[in-house]
Amino acid sequence: MKGARRTDGPAWPERDTLQVLHHDTPRRSAKDKVRGAALYSHDRRVPGMLYGRLVSVPVPRAEFEVDLAPALAIDGVVAAVKLREGETQFLGQAVAAVAAETPELAEDGARAVKLTFRELPFAITPDQALAEGAPQVRRGGNHSKVRPKGDEAATEEALAASDAVIDVTYRVPVQHHVCLETHGVLCDYRGGDEATIYASTQMAFGIPGAAAEVLGLDEKNVRCIVEHMGGGFGSKFSLDTPGRAACLLAKQAGRPVQLLNTRTDEFRAAGNRSGSIRRVRAGANEDGKLTALRIECEKLGGIGRGAGGPRPYHYEPGASYFEERAIHTHTDSSRAMRAPGHPQAAFASESAIDELAYRVGVDLVAFRKANLSDPVWHRQLDRVAAEIGWHDHPHRSAPGRGDGWIAEGIGFAISAWGGGGHRGAEASVSIRPDGGVAAMIGIQDLGTGVRTLVAMIAAEELGLRAEDVEPRIGDTILPPGVGSGGSVTTGSISPPVKIASYNARKAFAEHLASILDCPSERVRFQARRVFDADTPGRGLTWEEACRTLPKTGIGGHGAWDAKLQGSGVHGAQAARVRVDLMTGRVRVLKMVCCQDSGLVLNPLTWRSQVNGAMIQGLGQALFEERVLDADLGLALNAGLGDYKIPGTEEIPELVALIDEEDTREFPIGVGEPPVIPGPAAIANAVHNACGARVRSLPITPDKVLAALAKLEKEG
Amino acid sequence: MRVLHLRLNGDDVEVAAPEHWTLLEVLRYRLGLTGSKQGCDKGDCGACTVLVDGKPQLACLRLAATCEGHEILTIEGLLPAHRRAHPGSTDADPVQEAFDRCGALQCGFCQPGMILSARALLNENPTPSRDEIRAALSGNLCRCTGYTQIVQAVELAIAEATGAEPESPSWAPNQNPWTPGGALSAAAPVEVDPEIPGGEA
Repeated sequence: MKGARRTDGPAWPERDTLQVLHHDTPRRSAKDKVRGAALYSHDRRVPGMLYGRLVSVPVPRAEFEVDLAPALAIDGVVAAVKLREGETQFLGQAVAAVAAETPELAEDGARAVKLTFRELPFAITPDQALAEGAPQVRRGGNHSKVRPKGDEAATEEALAASDAVIDVTYRVPVQHHVCLETHGVLCDYRGGDEATIYASTQMAFGIPGAAAEVLGLDEKNVRCIVEHMGGGFGSKFSLDTPGRAACLLAKQAGRPVQLLNTRTDEFRAAGNRSGSIRRVRAGANEDGKLTALRIECEKLGGIGRGAGGPRPYHYEPGASYFEERAIHTHTDSSRAMRAPGHPQAAFASESAIDELAYRVGVDLVAFRKANLSDPVWHRQLDRVAAEIGWHDHPHRSAPGRGDGWIAEGIGFAISAWGGGGHRGAEASVSIRPDGGVAAMIGIQDLGTGVRTLVAMIAAEELGLRAEDVEPRIGDTILPPGVGSGGSVTTGSISPPVKIASYNARKAFAEHLASILDCPSERVRFQARRVFDADTPGRGLTWEEACRTLPKTGIGGHGAWDAKLQGSGVHGAQAARVRVDLMTGRVRVLKMVCCQDSGLVLNPLTWRSQVNGAMIQGLGQALFEERVLDADLGLALNAGLGDYKIPGTEEIPELVALIDEEDTREFPIGVGEPPVIPGPAAIANAVHNACGARVRSLPITPDKVLAALAKLEKEG
Repeated sequence: MRVLHLRLNGDDVEVAAPEHWTLLEVLRYRLGLTGSKQGCDKGDCGACTVLVDGKPQLACLRLAATCEGHEILTIEGLLPAHRRAHPGSTDADPVQEAFDRCGALQCGFCQPGMILSARALLNENPTPSRDEIRAALSGNLCRCTGYTQIVQAVELAIAEATGAEPESPSWAPNQNPWTPGGALSAAAPVEVDPEIPGGEA
């Protein structure tokens, strides 16, 4: 737990005294969004723009040559570029791109590009990749070196001495991000020395340098605008293939080019959450203590490395040993996805914890608490247990069997995350004579509510309402923001906005001191008024005070300060499910999340984040899996019709509880942690309901029925 | 290429487009109406939902030419339509207002389609049950919000129209899920105190 309150200069006020922050505040962008007026990168239109399309080879791996001439021969196709030479490494990897007067002509052009290719052998599954004589995926081989951690001998010894031991394997398939707005960029370049890039990105400030390099321009002449963007979840950190292609095409054409991934491109080549296979051997004693934990993890990140996750997973075994390696296949590289590695690690570890608790016959919540020393998890587990109805539940240390038709059960899991900010972000706040206040920072808003937060922080400092402040974000001509990944945005941008607001207030107070005839330290800004603290009945309205400003107004600047933020969050979740014993269908009835994150700046957007994370967890638990044909290497569900994400019919009752006992007086980001425990909690609830232990996600009806059949056979 | 005569958001619109273009292509690439989103182009995600004669339609699957002679309403037309129907009103459609107040959106990309599906439901059935709301919105995918606040928003729009009281969530019996504030609120939002005049200095 890091971060601390500072006593001088800008500080977050005691939460009981907050007027704007810590109150539900509707989004600043909501009015534009609900009216269809919010402009996403997809929606940008500039004069003379062309539309681009990517071209890929229709097999996973090939030697290829590209002939662009047939595309360029089509009337209306204006530019065509090669993106790659030699070999492809996975299905959907772009090799060329074309730009045309309409999206339809671009599609025609993409189809007309002549590809001459020779299919090469490929390895799609881990088994294929590890087989003797397998085609090589990466220069270093088809798997990475094993990374060991812990004491193997002591772990084996502890396993041998344990009252109960499990030896099981848990599998998590590749999951997709499924941003509703596909990856895309409009490169507004019309020849000359300057360009503006409208990008659907999580890191606006990463775009100008990358685009400048492709366009052959000076970085300072390239601007990136991200007014609104339609979701990222970790997949939108770079200029990426669509952006690079748009820049190359714009450079060739001397005209602006917008290139948006199709939904198929998105599934095949825009990243994913890596899969994992974890063999877990773990032991416990009848006193409810976890004695040993040994996990051998294989990360399935395609041509990428994949994500591992914490080792051990928060629980404290007597001895532990871990091995981790990446298995490479001829599939799209994994990318960061909301808490990379953690849901996979949680699914294996929390399932194993559950299995052991049943083996030694200890209450599932008590077993967890006995093996966690941090009291924060204890109180959070107690809270979600109470909310989900654990204490009246009949199956607390042995699974139920149901009534022959249906069965209901409850499951638990926990999580942890960092969520602190980092240096680099700056902000400016300016106050105008007309009373207007602009709070400026170039950060992008992924939909988390950053825009609203910027306004709220400045309003709190200046004694205004959130709607009195105009937040200006999402543009690299503004003071620098940071990349939005790792739940760092809140911790990175809150301090500079706070300090800029504080400095603007101080400057305004000095200006007003002579007008109010008091020392500047006594000038107060409260409830849209400005007054001398000693005579609060006398003063100026905010507008009157602002009218005394010079035409240029007054303002302040702020840089990041570690003291105004912190890191380290915990969470616990519980799920209640109903299993249809005839069909194997699982329905989640209720999910509860209790999460700490320091000072919650906007509870309304906080709850939305947590609810949304629980639903992504539900999707990973029950529905989501990339399916490839192992023989042909083709993607079988590269569309939203076949790759199912949860819809309104699948949502359970969601309860997002702020852990109010966390009294840390600084904000911490919360985007990622609540996505971690859901799949494990749901899997554990399925077992609790009916005894079916499904060790591979997603928990589809066939797997539930198979587990039930196995149970019956074993008697 | 042909000239289409469309009745769009209460106006007569003439637009030249290839015969085989979808309504979504005409809206986004000819008319500059980008409120209807292109999420999948296959009828899977619902982000392009518009109303044709009051019924929700996926603009990515409907040819624009087949819309001639029908009333098309896109998200851009919802607020003007509400104000036309309620002269003197400065509000948006109650569904739009409710989505705003309930925080029923994050990235917002699915919202136009979601709101129009909800509007179509309420036109058909002003007092749907929660299950009916869920069914009506089941063709609109959202990856951010978890849908809970979306369903709440539709329920708020219904409650305001019928004067019904909101149901408090089980975990916070005193909390009105539709009113900003909620369980955490320690103080009222900033308001100017009319008793204390300004400008005496």
